[in-house]
Amino acid sequence: MTGSNSKITYSEAGVNPKQLTIDEVQEILLKEQYVCDRSLATVVYLSLAMGKPLLLEGEAGVGKTEIAKVLAKVLNAKLIRLQCYEGLDANTALYEWNYPKQMLRIKLEEVQKGDKRVVETEIFNQDYLLKRPLLEAIISEDENPPVLLIDEIDRADVEFEAFLLEVLSDFQITIPEIGTIQAKHRPYVFLTSNRTREIHDALKRRCLYHWIEYPTFEKEYEIISTKFPEVAPNMAKQICAFMQRVREMNFYKRPGVAETLDWATALIALNRKGLDDNTVVETMGCVFKYREDLHHLREQIEGKQLNLDALLRSSPELRS
Amino acid sequence: MEVTPETVAAAVHGFSAVRGHGTLPNLLAFGRALKQLGVKISLGQVIDSSRSMDLVDIAEKEDFRALLRANLISQKEDFPVFDMAFDCFWREQGYERVPMETLDIQGTPTESQAQEGGDEEGLEEAFAETPAQESVELENLDELSIPTYSAQELLNRKDFSEMSVEESRAIARAILLIATKIATQISRRKKHARKGAMVDPRWTMRKNIKYGGDIVDLVNRKRRIKKTKVVLLCDVSGSMDCYSRFLIQFMYGLQNELWGVETFVFSTSLSRITHLIRTKDIGNALEQISGSILGWSGGTNIGRSLQTFNRNFAPAMVTSRTIVVIISDGWDRGDVSLLERQMQDLKRRCKKVIWLNPLLASENYEPLCKGMQAALPYIDLFLSVHNLNSLVALGHTLQKMVA
Repeated sequence: MTGSNSKITYSEAGVNPKQLTIDEVQEILLKEQYVCDRSLATVVYLSLAMGKPLLLEGEAGVGKTEIAKVLAKVLNAKLIRLQCYEGLDANTALYEWNYPKQMLRIKLEEVQKGDKRVVETEIFNQDYLLKRPLLEAIISEDENPPVLLIDEIDRADVEFEAFLLEVLSDFQITIPEIGTIQAKHRPYVFLTSNRTREIHDALKRRCLYHWIEYPTFEKEYEIISTKFPEVAPNMAKQICAFMQRVREMNFYKRPGVAETLDWATALIALNRKGLDDNTVVETMGCVFKYREDLHHLREQIEGKQLNLDALLRSSPELRS
Repeated sequence: MEVTPETVAAAVHGFSAVRGHGTLPNLLAFGRALKQLGVKISLGQVIDSSRSMDLVDIAEKEDFRALLRANLISQKEDFPVFDMAFDCFWREQGYERVPMETLDIQGTPTESQAQEGGDEEGLEEAFAETPAQESVELENLDELSIPTYSAQELLNRKDFSEMSVEESRAIARAILLIATKIATQISRRKKHARKGAMVDPRWTMRKNIKYGGDIVDLVNRKRRIKKTKVVLLCDVSGSMDCYSRFLIQFMYGLQNELWGVETFVFSTSLSRITHLIRTKDIGNALEQISGSILGWSGGTNIGRSLQTFNRNFAPAMVTSRTIVVIISDGWDRGDVSLLERQMQDLKRRCKKVIWLNPLLASENYEPLCKGMQAALPYIDLFLSVHNLNSLVALGHTLQKMVA
């Protein structure tokens, strides 16, 4: 995943993001099975309309990365992803000359006794440039501006943040040997952070900000029934009620929506129609990834502090 | 940030006089009110909000709220303040003035406001200042400093003058000197570490292009400097607070060479004081801390304080490269099993747990008290800090861990 990017093709023509309304944003995301509430839709809409980067924060597994992927798909735009990690530097994020290729060219010209000046200019043109994600996003000539996803920015070093600030404020990059490259169309930029550290204020100021909460019972139910129509309503309710409950409890790592979906997939694969204590214990590996958490859960279920029947009875009534 | 509706209303009212007609003056006034309430806001963000106004139908209150929030707020902790201020400021549709006559802004803060003070900044000043008279100038907004908190938190106020002034000054100076010295040693070590690393083939080629591709110069791969972060949890109850004070001073001197030092104090509850130390010189900051932290020099509940830390701060601050330094004598009045669980949790998150206990200096000391015993299995280093020498030893230990 590091620094790589992928092109997602989409059969229909993309939508023009400048002409969307808030409702339409919500709608097209839903079409791609991304359930989002109105405040998130508003922020996404603003980000598209203003051309301002959007910084998404939230617990792990609430769908921060997913929204950028889905958007790229519906806009029929190229998704360029920059996965941040510690030690990520400008070379890996922006561009680098392809030195071995340059070297080969030089050697070749030596043998063929070519013109020195021609070689000099030629080995510094774009053919010898390795485009890393940020440059790729800026240089893109596509009709639809690409979606640039800068994932887990909190993992990168503070120095990199300063560098990113520069790129995101002007959307231009200067390469000494070539000159300044200005983005033809500003890419739609999404940044995500898990908050393992605070992002610098200067960068935050360049961005719109949204905090994605854990979903409510209704929203989570909607997510499950959208993604997995084959899940029986009753079991979907049970799953949601269970997830809502364990998120309130004292676990080392609280499960996100990603875990809910994993779990639902597992339950479908096992052909279960409803939850009972045994099923929960057997499949808990989908939801909890720490030994202590699994242990704690088993205790809670055996001690009847976590009672599935009671949970379902107390779960809120669903609208419609 | 905890804010009462009264403080918000007062801050909003303070700026209501500078509200004018049209979007920008109103947004500016709103921005300044938020700023007064301790929210970090730049002029650029306000201008961007105003530019994006025609993108949503502002008759839809919730959309308008989302628009302003996304533009102006950049951390979720500020959401509650924002929501309150928003409701108060944009009470009526359009940009009519909020009728404020009903609010008693001349009155002194009520008791409930004084109590919720804690580490909040600026709320008190919202009453003291009368920004209504100021005119709105664009340049001014960015310069508006956040008023500092001068809480009259009297509960258990600790008087530093109990110590001999001369003595503590001399020690403070010595501490700073030593810390600086250790800090430079750390950076020198880093320089040496850069040498003798592996060859970087890519950059070697790059550098040797000028020789036509024959390798003349080798380029070494620079080892990335991995800075370590230190989180300081200081017991400030009873007899512990003078030790904590010197420790904070010492760590403060070191912090330029570390990724950063996050400082917390705890007794019955936990408070983050990093921001106080950052904005003031150390003496003043500590003065202020002792004035504003609830329960300074009161009883101790280590377990609960650690729980607060693990729950609210650790996920964002503690990584596998963080060293957590706890200074406490281990006398815990709370639930020992809670302390043990929290220590276990903390230990799993961080690189090293160092526990400093001044009592360790006395030869007869054995960690018999229940709290200390519960914590011991999860401690990597158990050291004393009772005098200058032991602080120096701590500095060297940290130096080794960091390098």
